[in-house]
Amino acid sequence: MDSSIAQKTWELENNIVSMETPPTNSTADTSASDAIFFYDEGAQTKFQQEKPWVNDPHYFKRVKISALALLKMVVHARSGGTIEVMGLMQGKTDGDAIIVMDAFALPVEGTETRVNAQADAYEYMVDYSQTNKQAGRLENAVGWYHSHPGYGCWLSGIDVSTQMLNQQFQEPFLAVVIDPTRTVSAGKVEIGAFRTYPEGYKPPDEPISEYQTIPLNKIEDFGVHCKQYYSLDITYFKSSLDCHLLDLLWNKYWVNTLSSSPLLGNGDYVAGQISDLAEKLEQAENQLSHSRYGPLIAPPPRRKEEDSQLAKITRDSAKITVEQVHGLMSQVIKDILFNSVRQSTKTHAGPSDPEPMIES
Amino acid sequence: MASSSSSGLTFKLHPLVIVNISDHYTRVKSQMNHSSSATTTNDDNNNGAQPRVYGCVIGIQRGRTVEIFNSFELLYDPSTHSLDRAFLEKKQELYKKVFPHFYILGWYSTGSDAQESDMHIHKALMDINESPVYVLLNPSINPAQKDLPVTIFESELHVIEGIPQLIFVRSSYTIETVEAERISVDHVAHLKPSDGGSAATQLAAHLTGIHSAIKMLNSRIRVLHHYLVAMQKGEIPCENSLLRQVSSLLRRLPAIESEKFQDDFLMVSLFSSFLNIFTIFYH
Repeated sequence: MDSSIAQKTWELENNIVSMETPPTNSTADTSASDAIFFYDEGAQTKFQQEKPWVNDPHYFKRVKISALALLKMVVHARSGGTIEVMGLMQGKTDGDAIIVMDAFALPVEGTETRVNAQADAYEYMVDYSQTNKQAGRLENAVGWYHSHPGYGCWLSGIDVSTQMLNQQFQEPFLAVVIDPTRTVSAGKVEIGAFRTYPEGYKPPDEPISEYQTIPLNKIEDFGVHCKQYYSLDITYFKSSLDCHLLDLLWNKYWVNTLSSSPLLGNGDYVAGQISDLAEKLEQAENQLSHSRYGPLIAPPPRRKEEDSQLAKITRDSAKITVEQVHGLMSQVIKDILFNSVRQSTKTHAGPSDPEPMIES
Repeated sequence: MASSSSSGLTFKLHPLVIVNISDHYTRVKSQMNHSSSATTTNDDNNNGAQPRVYGCVIGIQRGRTVEIFNSFELLYDPSTHSLDRAFLEKKQELYKKVFPHFYILGWYSTGSDAQESDMHIHKALMDINESPVYVLLNPSINPAQKDLPVTIFESELHVIEGIPQLIFVRSSYTIETVEAERISVDHVAHLKPSDGGSAATQLAAHLTGIHSAIKMLNSRIRVLHHYLVAMQKGEIPCENSLLRQVSSLLRRLPAIESEKFQDDFLMVSLFSSFLNIFTIFYH
């Protein structure tokens, strides 16, 4: 394929402005949003040779994940239960974005206890990639994903070492972490995409990352390494056929949405969260009782980053409460819908919120 | 060729399979279109031939329930008019390592209807699974369509003109999903706010989902109501089996009666209000 065609395809791919807007009926739009599925070998090898990321550790800023990859990763992560699982992602690059087209699971366990657990699965990886190429999936491995069931999306010490190794030998490579337990309890996908900085690099300006609760037994591991990597923005995309099918799918699975009950599914996890919260409270209490002035001093105005223990604990407990209240709200709605048949004056109106419960 | 199945098997399909097939098709189509229309404009996409893709579906069969969880691609060998067997076995081995509980349940393809040549492929799979299923996805996007363009076929032995033949019969299926799958499908379908957001946006997203589901429930009930009223007026002949189903459904309401639910609910909401007061107080 000569370079002019490669360039045209490159420009076409770069012109995809918003994947999020639903594709209209015009052919131009459908071909533009589906063009991302075309694998341009020429442009990819050109990019590989140029290696623009070598000079800039912060080169890749965005990640685009396909609907299929997300679904596969979340389902695989959830199927592991409380055991960490891992897999590889296939895709390509596009300027400063890494595009993940597909993902597949690896038969490896114990990813949190040793570096380069991927080595176990080399044979599997090679076989799988070969069969994939034959079946028409031409992309290369562009990252790895693994799960942190119940303890949040961040890179542990082992993960950081693994990723640094990857970024030395397998560039461009991305690390993705999924928390399937929190996904189910919060009702939204818990996922994070990261790249590590090279050894000894000091990031110029660390943007304040979103706060997430970390269980007490992992908080040290998190704190020691959290400055060694940065997170990338994640957006999702799907093909026009995917859009169409997903819309139609809704006609069938609205039943599941209504009947789902996160309270039942995640009982153990919530119990664990509450006991962790109790431990943190004890710790905070011990700290306070040791300081001479105790509760008499008004806390001095603090910068956003220096949150005291108590503030963090209140935020954690608020999060647990919010999730529980969400689950309870669904139950109340179902109660109103299905249990109040006796009253003939009952209207079909939407859910009535009994009391204002959530701070805005 | 397609009448309804009488085998008594219930089929459950997971959304992952549907997205898998759709992605396979889109990939193959886009590679084909770009390599063939090197100099022509994009209008060719609509006129381009619809390629057929083939693959295998895997899952679990428990008694009379067949649950299809996942799928993978296969190669079609045009010389033998069937699927590449060595490739299938290699792929199956790989998938067995990661998903040891799944078995090959059948195969899939794309197109608008089952074709005669498909029976050949179907028979070839019969030595792996004595009654394979055939999942057909219709990839043409028809905005007026209300139903999922996915059909599941089984094969049955029918006597046609004195000769026993295997033909395809349609089967009904339901969409089955686990919680995690549902959330991610929801997420990608409606592109909800993914990160953080205040408690208000999270609440809004959660309630929007439930609201849409209730809207659907309402519309379905309305349709049923309309139908029953018409039956009452005599516009439509009475269908006793339907009436029996509706009355058994109504008899199941109220679903549960429990005062304990009210108490538990009040207690939890009381505690949560306390906690929220503390949070506001602290900040």
